[in-house]
Amino acid sequence: MALHTTASPSRRDVLQQSALGFGYLALADLLRADDAPAGKQAPHFKPRAKRVIFLFMKGGPSHIDTFDPKPLLDRDDGKPFPGERPRVVFAKTGNLLKSPWKFKQYGQCGTPVSELFPNVAKCVDDICFVHSLHGTNPAHGGAALKLHTGSDNFVRPSMGAWIAYGLGAANDNLPAFVTVCPTLAHGGVNNWASAFLPASCQGVPLGNASTPVEQAKVRYIDNKRLTLSDQKKQLALLAEMNGDHLARTGPDGALEGRIDSFELAFRMQKTMPEAEDISKETDATRKLYGLDDPITAPFGRQCLLARRLAERDVRFVQVTHSDSMVQWDQHGDLRKGHSKNAREVDKPIAGLLTDLKSRGLLKDTLVLWGGEFGRTPTVEGGGNDGRDHNPEGFTVWMAGGGVKPGFRYGATDDYGWYAAENKVHIHDLHATMLALLGLDHEKLTFKHAGRDFRLTDVHGQVIKELFA
Amino acid sequence: MTLAVLGLTPGPAVAADPAPTAEDIRFFEMKIRPLLAERCHKCHGAEKQKGDLRLDTEAGIRKGGDSGEPLIVAAKPDMSMLLRSVRHAQDVPAMPPKAKLKDSEIADLEAWVKRGAPFPVSIKVGSDPSKHWAFQPVVASAPPAVKDASWAKSDLDRYILAKLEAAQLKPASPADKPTLIRRATFDLIGLPPTPEEVDAFIKDASPTAFANVVDRLLASPRYGERWGRHWLDVARYADSNGLDENTAHGNAWRYRDYVIASFNADKPYDLFLREQIAGDLLKKANPGSGHEPLIATGFLALGPKVLAEPDEKKMEFDIVDEQIDTLGKAVMGLTLGCARCHDHKFDPVSTADYYGLAGVFISTKTMENFKKVARWHENSLASPADVKKKAEHDAAVARLKEQIKGLTAKTDEPSKVELKKLKAELAELEKKAPELPSAMGVTEGTPTDVPVLRRGNHLTPGAMVARRFPIIIAGVNQEALPKDHSGRLELANWLTNPKHPLTARVMVNRVWRWHFGQGLVRSVDNFGLLSDKPSHPELLDSLAAEFVKSGWSVKALHRRLMLSATYQMSSTHDARAAIADPDNRLRWRANIRRLEAEAIRDSLLAVSGLLEHAGGGPVLTHLKNRDYIFDHTSKDRTTYTTHRRSVYLPVIRNNLYDVFQLFDAPDASVPNGDRPTTTVPTQALFFLNSELAANSAAALADRILTQTNLTDDTRVKQLLAITYGREPNAKEAERLIAAVDAFEKDFSAGEQDAGKRRRNAWSAVCQSVLASNEFIHIR
Repeated sequence: MALHTTASPSRRDVLQQSALGFGYLALADLLRADDAPAGKQAPHFKPRAKRVIFLFMKGGPSHIDTFDPKPLLDRDDGKPFPGERPRVVFAKTGNLLKSPWKFKQYGQCGTPVSELFPNVAKCVDDICFVHSLHGTNPAHGGAALKLHTGSDNFVRPSMGAWIAYGLGAANDNLPAFVTVCPTLAHGGVNNWASAFLPASCQGVPLGNASTPVEQAKVRYIDNKRLTLSDQKKQLALLAEMNGDHLARTGPDGALEGRIDSFELAFRMQKTMPEAEDISKETDATRKLYGLDDPITAPFGRQCLLARRLAERDVRFVQVTHSDSMVQWDQHGDLRKGHSKNAREVDKPIAGLLTDLKSRGLLKDTLVLWGGEFGRTPTVEGGGNDGRDHNPEGFTVWMAGGGVKPGFRYGATDDYGWYAAENKVHIHDLHATMLALLGLDHEKLTFKHAGRDFRLTDVHGQVIKELFA
Repeated sequence: MTLAVLGLTPGPAVAADPAPTAEDIRFFEMKIRPLLAERCHKCHGAEKQKGDLRLDTEAGIRKGGDSGEPLIVAAKPDMSMLLRSVRHAQDVPAMPPKAKLKDSEIADLEAWVKRGAPFPVSIKVGSDPSKHWAFQPVVASAPPAVKDASWAKSDLDRYILAKLEAAQLKPASPADKPTLIRRATFDLIGLPPTPEEVDAFIKDASPTAFANVVDRLLASPRYGERWGRHWLDVARYADSNGLDENTAHGNAWRYRDYVIASFNADKPYDLFLREQIAGDLLKKANPGSGHEPLIATGFLALGPKVLAEPDEKKMEFDIVDEQIDTLGKAVMGLTLGCARCHDHKFDPVSTADYYGLAGVFISTKTMENFKKVARWHENSLASPADVKKKAEHDAAVARLKEQIKGLTAKTDEPSKVELKKLKAELAELEKKAPELPSAMGVTEGTPTDVPVLRRGNHLTPGAMVARRFPIIIAGVNQEALPKDHSGRLELANWLTNPKHPLTARVMVNRVWRWHFGQGLVRSVDNFGLLSDKPSHPELLDSLAAEFVKSGWSVKALHRRLMLSATYQMSSTHDARAAIADPDNRLRWRANIRRLEAEAIRDSLLAVSGLLEHAGGGPVLTHLKNRDYIFDHTSKDRTTYTTHRRSVYLPVIRNNLYDVFQLFDAPDASVPNGDRPTTTVPTQALFFLNSELAANSAAALADRILTQTNLTDDTRVKQLLAITYGREPNAKEAERLIAAVDAFEKDFSAGEQDAGKRRRNAWSAVCQSVLASNEFIHIR
């Protein structure tokens, strides 16, 4: 149910409106005495991860050209797809198209990775691949919303917002959910919004996909006219006036909360720029993320920001790889497009994994990599060089945060069109991610418009096989 | 837990006690209710009770069917008729008769019975959902007797006072005049009162002083801008589609302006609704009427649509679903959308009810086509002159093309030159193509009934349903809807029938919510079984009845609410009452409310003298209708630098203006009559660092400094009169002047010009005043 402003808000209201939120679990504990929410009893599980970094590859990277090699596709190149095509497809495609890239096995686990990701390939022993993910929507908008919110046609809270709601902020001076250079297209804000969850759970964007990453900042974080010491004076005056006002109104949780929020905002003006400032990072670290190379530098900087935010205990950091077009959407020009895209992200991603590991952060940070869907094994367009959207079966991978390292789960069919073995729906991915964070997806609920809502709606199974 | 239930529930009856645990409820809601709804309610539910058995209420399940045998023996599945039936055991009717339940479903039922067949409270209450208060006719009762006969100004007050007295609470003292006029002005026009208006009210000692203020505000064109915006929340109004293909609603502004004008004109609410639902049909019946009824149907067309949905049939039903959901919530406070996939889990709304309504909307044309990227329909508003102009233009283009065609084959030089010239002319002419005015809206499609879609999936159609309205309100004996049109007009008439139990109640409750910060029914968009119980049911009914009797006049309703003693109470805190009634449901005082996003921005502009009152017209001047706001790019070129009122700023789905986002403006994708009020630090950052806050503060400082011969004391007086609508006390005045002096000293290093320094110092102080709680709260 929506929050109500009341003369003297109930304890629940005050807690739910409080600046950065206690998190659902803490809230439930605090409320249990007077007003325990239905469906809340047994403690959720022991968490394996404390935070998530989601590397979102906007547009739909091709699984069969990156991490899911298909020998039969090589063999039957140019022949018709022998199976049944999905009832609904986004675009018309022709015959089978083999991958233009060669695969090689890497690491002790021997996981195959294509030439597109030579650096990530070196990290496969830390990675847990899910090859059998499937969604429902073959268009970018629906698929992106499904991946981020679990729903492709209703406005629902983003997974980051659910996690912020469930766990609350671990750092009092930073938001619980930050999204770096998100794309405004295909659902836009709804992909990081809190919908009916408290506003404190929404993702705080640093710029957007059309902002150069060096300029990506929290809105209104700095002031060009006044110095911090002037602002301190303004705040002192404000506090006195607000104090007088409160004395006249009598105790009021909302007014008091707003007084506190100014102090917190003032602190954020210091902590946020400090978190964003990479000037003190060593050359070795910068190199690790590819900041010395103009091609890898932008995404490298995003990944480095993600580490700095994770280090400061931001619960959910999303990093979006999207230029002002749909980056990974190669209906044509697959060879050139995917080469360029992979080149931009491969080194930074490997750098992030290596850096997190060496700092001891990987063990409780869950890194998730993926796009809104994969691509078809059949060719699109006349140039024999394109693939259509494919939500029927594709690959995402996770690392750290309590997942099984050097592990591959599930499989697509022989040609890579459909998830075939150990299918994992996007709802299952959400359920599993929440479980890694210690949250039971069936119990993490919020009452709205007369009923309880969940990230996984009425679906979702935790895939325990993925746990380390 | 199961054991406890076992031990306590002997005998054949369904377990009544103890209260179900949270786990019980969860199990029932997750497993049992959906199963019963999907597999049993069709024959044993609200509509049909085969074998005199009803499985959608606790009473029904307890009673069992006509065999007389108990359906459930608590904790003993093997002895329970329910289990024997679903297992298709000997000597009991095999249920469901055609498709046996899955083993897992039978196991769930077994587990439930083993637990003692616990029911959650939601299904227990009232037992028979048709008895739910909101579905009963509105009954106007005599106001209750009260002990303190002197306090009440009207019947409304008597309803409030009676409950306060019963709880041994007292209403707060009346608000002082500056507080009251500030409250009333924000409430009705969304702007602060000017110092002159406050003065005039204070000086007016007549008994009608406040009534005069209310009348003045209701007559102001600013009123429609404020209350139109409230309705736009309910109508999920936006200037872009949102969702996947975020294209410009280039003509949505016509609907917005229609709503504003309707409130200003005090258009009867029933007519307002009829126009929005069936304006095109009203216009057909009365061709002489203006464009308004056509524009009004924008209400049905403005929803977010997945325009690139590759499954066209799904898109069509998704759009209808959005319409039903919006209509249900906005007008009736019913979450009808829930019944798309299964019988409503809480409310007595079946899938047949849903598809009965869906037929009405499938028979309505909302879209030009469903091919991705799909195009929505717009109703033409072109005058004969417009059409003529367009026809002339088209003819000119055709003539040119003909000439070009004649020349293309020729190779001689003069022809080539001529061809080039004509081609340039054509390009120029085509650029100037007159665009015929049109409005998003609906028109009639092909009247047709639709089948129930199992699980909401159009690939699994079930039985056909005749177009009709939900049985719980319209009853079973409904007149068949006409075969030759959609039935929208009948729908509109049915909804606005004075006897409809929900329409008037929902609207008076909305208006109450927008005045008092909290509805009599707090869940303003949901009056179903899980809704909040009304705090004053008789008052709600009395207001609803009066509303209808007044000819559905919203302005009369404002007067009724605002001229009450209840509205005019102060917000004085009372420690005893705060403990007895912390949520102020009994209304022992006025609520302290934060301004909404639009009112915050408008107030900043108003007090600084920057606000421009030009209103209406197109908002997306940088885009053509249906252009992408941004698709693959994330560059949004929409600007918000105008100083017009917030209601006239673009509402861009997926990238709402950040000031609106910050201060809880709704997402504009679903109806929302109850905006939340949240407090997050990024709001504070806005007041500290945004251009809007800084520019407003600077302009306010300029206003205070315009008259050069004033003392600082007088300036502080002015400042608080403009911003807070009251006089400063001595301490405040001293504090503010000291702060100006301190800033002036601070700025001496950086700014040589004494005049500018002083202005900057006042500006810094003004910014603190604008950021204060008092400025953005009504008390």
